Amino acid sequence: MADEFDIAVVGGGLVGAALAWGASGAGRRVALLDEGDLALRAARANFALVWVQGKGLGLPDYAAWTARSAAAWPDLAAALGGETGIDVRYGRPGGLHLALSEAELERRAAWLGRLHNQSPPYTVRMLDRAETARLLPAIGPDVVGASFCPDDGHCDSLRLFRALHAGFQRRGGRYRADSAVDGIRHAGGEFRLATKRGEIRAAKLVLAAGLGNARLAPMVGLAAPVRPQRGHILVTERVAPFLAHPLATLRQTGEGSVMIGDSQEEAGFDTGVDTGVAAAIAARAVRAFPLLARANVVRSWAALRVMTGDGFPIYEQSAACPGAFLATCHSGVTLAAAHATVLAPQIAAGALAPELGVFSARRFDVPAAA
Amino acid sequence: MTIRDAYDAAVVGAGPAGLAAATLCARAGLATVLFDEQPAAGGQIYRAAGTTPLRAGTILGDDYWRGRRLVADFAASGAQHVPGAAVWSLSREREIGVSLGGAARLVRAARVILATGAIERPFPIPGWTLPGVMTAGAAQILLKSAALVPAGRTVLAGSGPLLWLLARQYLEAGAEIAAILDTTPRANRRRALAHAPAFLASPYFAKGLALLRAVRRRVRVIGGVAALAAEGSGRLEAVRYAAARGEQRLPADLLLLHQGVVPNVNLAMAAGIAHRWDESQLCFVPERDAAGATALDGIAIAGDGGGIGGAEAAAEEGRLAAIAAIRALRPGADLGAEEIAARRSLARWRRGRRFLDALFRPAFVPPADETIVCRCEAVTAGEIAAAVDQGCTGPNQLKAFTRCGMGPCQGRLCGLTVTQLIAARRGVSPAEAGHYRLRPPVKPLTLGELAGLPAGNAAMKAVARD
Repeated sequence: MADEFDIAVVGGGLVGAALAWGASGAGRRVALLDEGDLALRAARANFALVWVQGKGLGLPDYAAWTARSAAAWPDLAAALGGETGIDVRYGRPGGLHLALSEAELERRAAWLGRLHNQSPPYTVRMLDRAETARLLPAIGPDVVGASFCPDDGHCDSLRLFRALHAGFQRRGGRYRADSAVDGIRHAGGEFRLATKRGEIRAAKLVLAAGLGNARLAPMVGLAAPVRPQRGHILVTERVAPFLAHPLATLRQTGEGSVMIGDSQEEAGFDTGVDTGVAAAIAARAVRAFPLLARANVVRSWAALRVMTGDGFPIYEQSAACPGAFLATCHSGVTLAAAHATVLAPQIAAGALAPELGVFSARRFDVPAAA
Repeated sequence: MTIRDAYDAAVVGAGPAGLAAATLCARAGLATVLFDEQPAAGGQIYRAAGTTPLRAGTILGDDYWRGRRLVADFAASGAQHVPGAAVWSLSREREIGVSLGGAARLVRAARVILATGAIERPFPIPGWTLPGVMTAGAAQILLKSAALVPAGRTVLAGSGPLLWLLARQYLEAGAEIAAILDTTPRANRRRALAHAPAFLASPYFAKGLALLRAVRRRVRVIGGVAALAAEGSGRLEAVRYAAARGEQRLPADLLLLHQGVVPNVNLAMAAGIAHRWDESQLCFVPERDAAGATALDGIAIAGDGGGIGGAEAAAEEGRLAAIAAIRALRPGADLGAEEIAARRSLARWRRGRRFLDALFRPAFVPPADETIVCRCEAVTAGEIAAAVDQGCTGPNQLKAFTRCGMGPCQGRLCGLTVTQLIAARRGVSPAEAGHYRLRPPVKPLTLGELAGLPAGNAAMKAVARD
């Protein structure tokens, strides 16, 4: 039967696809199990940034992991292009985070100052208005300054998504849609996954199901304390190129359209579009770049990020069910390179490197101070 | 024009359903507003009924002038008419996002009646994006609103009543038609026969027969046409097709395509109203009850936007939705007689529709691989098939894989084709393949307009970043 695999990855989003692509090849039989057309899919709400600035306050290992992935991104883009012919349009022109008031600029500087004390493996510089205007001539009068990091970049995340799937299948991987996992049994050194399209058996199991991990992890003795955090994104029609650098919340795509986001809302599992939030996003975008006031918004949507309590990823192998791994994060694009080229080989080899130990979910077990 | 923040009743769309609904609501004393995208009331069917430059009643036919009565009644009803208004969102709380004169605003209503009408079914053939190829409906708009008739060799191709109606209107206006290429599957005639008795007793029969005869007398009609393609370098030069006599090539300057109309569902879908696949009309239709009410409290759908029934049926559906709205807001209002009259008339106009549905039901043949399906993002049928083969099960994953449906038209020009293509490729029903998930804005509005709307503190906090 073709339903036996060396590795079964649960979750066809960016995390699952990157791990499946990275783990496939070399004769390994890998399955990628996915839900249907209307799954929650955090991968549809990503902002396509390969981003390091500001990452890792409170957990230097996360800053290092992020920087490592960003450094591996050029090779990832080249490898995917070579295997699939899909140009993921990766670029690293350096990214900015704009401040629209002196207070915002001060808060940004203070935040980065605290981060600086951790000696992050990247440099961030504060820019005044004139320096910002040299990089971004289209800024409006409300922009007082920015932070700038030369290591920040972006890509076309739809092309990344497509390339990971195409590359995975080209390497012999099996993609199965409409195969939500209803139950997992671990017996005789293998995992048996119940799906409506039949049972899947695999020697190793990777849970990369985003918010679905909360339900799946306990089936293999793991915990995935994740919650949904809603983000809105607006997309404009195509406009003439005006923005040479991606911003944390606004970027111009290769097609010319402008992606604007992204809100952080605690709204449960509601993926509805909120006009007030869209208006707030639009208002900031127009203050940042007044020329955008005339651009038509052609799409908006909201989707759910996969957030942990501290915002950092969880990577862990089950002690109770060895061979079962958990991977979850909310930076599926930035971390795609680390997932595909560092984490996936470790999973395939059967053990996570000790340096990833800090990302165990056991860090959430510490009881809150009474 | 002063737009209020709130109304008793808000109607979207000034075609027959919307005009009839708004007229009744206003006559009953409800504070009523009707938002419409066009500069003049009438919708597509009665477009410019009050303002058309065409004077002779013969060109557009008697039906068209019936629209004048609806427009006149509406004008006298006291309802507020807001033309040039693009409704881009509707929330469950019945908050309507509308763009007017370059400014967006939010309007609330106790009752909302959507009368968004029909759009032409997409008709993707190789070369349909060439200059010189347009839809019959678009050509009819030019005729109605600007008295524009084509010069040169005009070919009409496809299926459905509008194709024949346009042909006659062109003939009356003095235009020449090189040929009508009829793609109606011959097997449809047999299937339609089962519904013939009702059709023979319906008001459509005599009208339809006269129309067909009038056109056939003066135009070459070629039946059983398949494999249509528009050819030309830079613009249309010829139409290629297959017929009984084999592959043919017909030189042409203008090709007008049409294969029926389908409900314009984007606003209703974005509002979160459930839709189902209608196998007889081959389209998605909203779930609603006999008075047009949907599962969303206070939101009803009337007219072709709820399923194709024609202009006269649409007006009666508009009246029934209005009666329900009036009763909800004015308990004790006695509208029994009006309701009975509307139901009776609706039944009369619905008689014979199943015959028309069966006769003009287009066969779905997956377009040739090189055919552009999504015009906004230039995605071809072959690319869609490849994505399906790679595991893409529905239109929403297809967006992520190919950008199909992500352009400004929001899937209006490709949605049904994509659903049917995926269904055919996967060997599942269109219902299982599903539809694009639609979200506001369903009509483009500028970022500046959106920025001008009230956001609130929670929203501002949600977008602030340190």
